[in-house]
Amino acid sequence: MPLAPAFAHTGTGTSAGLLSGFMHPITGVDHLVAMVAVGLWGAQLGNPAIWILPIAFPLVMAIGGLFGVSGFDLPFTEIMIAISGIALGLAVAMNIRPPLWAAALLVGVFAVFHGYAHGRELPEAADPLAFGVGFVIATGLLHLCGILIGVLTRWPVGAQLVRASGAAIGAIGGYFLLSAMGLVT
Amino acid sequence: MKKETLIRAIAAALALVSVPASADAHLINTTLGDFYGGVLYPLSGPEDVVPWFALAILASIQYPRNARWLLFVFPVALVGGALLSVVAPALFISPAWNLAVIVVTGLAVAAAAKLPFPVLLGLGTLIALLHGYHNGQAMTQDTDRLLFICGVAAVGYVFVTLFTALAISFRQGGREWRLIALRASGSWVAAVGVIMIGLQLRTAAPM
Repeated sequence: MPLAPAFAHTGTGTSAGLLSGFMHPITGVDHLVAMVAVGLWGAQLGNPAIWILPIAFPLVMAIGGLFGVSGFDLPFTEIMIAISGIALGLAVAMNIRPPLWAAALLVGVFAVFHGYAHGRELPEAADPLAFGVGFVIATGLLHLCGILIGVLTRWPVGAQLVRASGAAIGAIGGYFLLSAMGLVT
Repeated sequence: MKKETLIRAIAAALALVSVPASADAHLINTTLGDFYGGVLYPLSGPEDVVPWFALAILASIQYPRNARWLLFVFPVALVGGALLSVVAPALFISPAWNLAVIVVTGLAVAAAAKLPFPVLLGLGTLIALLHGYHNGQAMTQDTDRLLFICGVAAVGYVFVTLFTALAISFRQGGREWRLIALRASGSWVAAVGVIMIGLQLRTAAPM
């Protein structure tokens, strides 16, 4: 008789889809640092960027997800995701304050590539809708983490800490860029 | 306590003790199972929960008079949709409708739009009819349809009312960020809807 292990929870369906979607941005460090950087930068820029960026990001990311789901071939995805970490990290580290439209445009362009990467995995998910819900919620919560850390900018020492976090994010982005280009294994 | 009252109480207690019956943790003999089936079915996946959530948040940012009407119309339209599934079980309703209402509702929340009364009511009715029909299709020959439909309507009413109340309570703090947080949740819902439309287009397209 063929024997197989028995599980109380089979890990299929809605719960598995939700969990895998939720974990996707969190377990991918390149996604994670960029999402946190969006929140940090928004907090640094203050009103209204702190609110506009987290609202606009998921919507623009969904357009990237649309490309990914539809099977459209978007080139340089991994490289652009790594560059997003570098650019957003540097923006935080150097406390760059562009006009709101420029910041939104930059974040929006990167959001397309992040959404595309998530969208590519959506059709294989146990429950695609639950996967989508999971990764959008996780992305929003990562922004929130960034915003909450960014609150430290109200104090001089905290502002330095936030800028150091930006530098660290930029460095992590640099590592992933080298990795995407095959220069680091 | 008077003597007569005491005698009556003792007599009643003896009568109860003399007629023992088995005790069950779950009252299976109430035959209300299909009611609970109707209650749980919409909650078993995100297809209903996500747009209901968005609709509740949308209701919370409308004028109270309009929102109250939505809370009344929504369960009634759920019943209408479920009854339609009984009358016309093979009706083809494109999945794109369900996804479109998710996107529209999510965008309306993200924009904190105060919709005209007919539009708000129309959107709520459309969502309820679609979901009532979809949930009604889960009924089999053995299902007690009345109980199941009552269950769907009850959970729809409770869910939307509860989340609307929670959202209103959340906003009453007065801080600007609270409305923004609700708007962000709308953008999340819209984002999910947009991506699902992409998946639907991919599924519908010939391979």
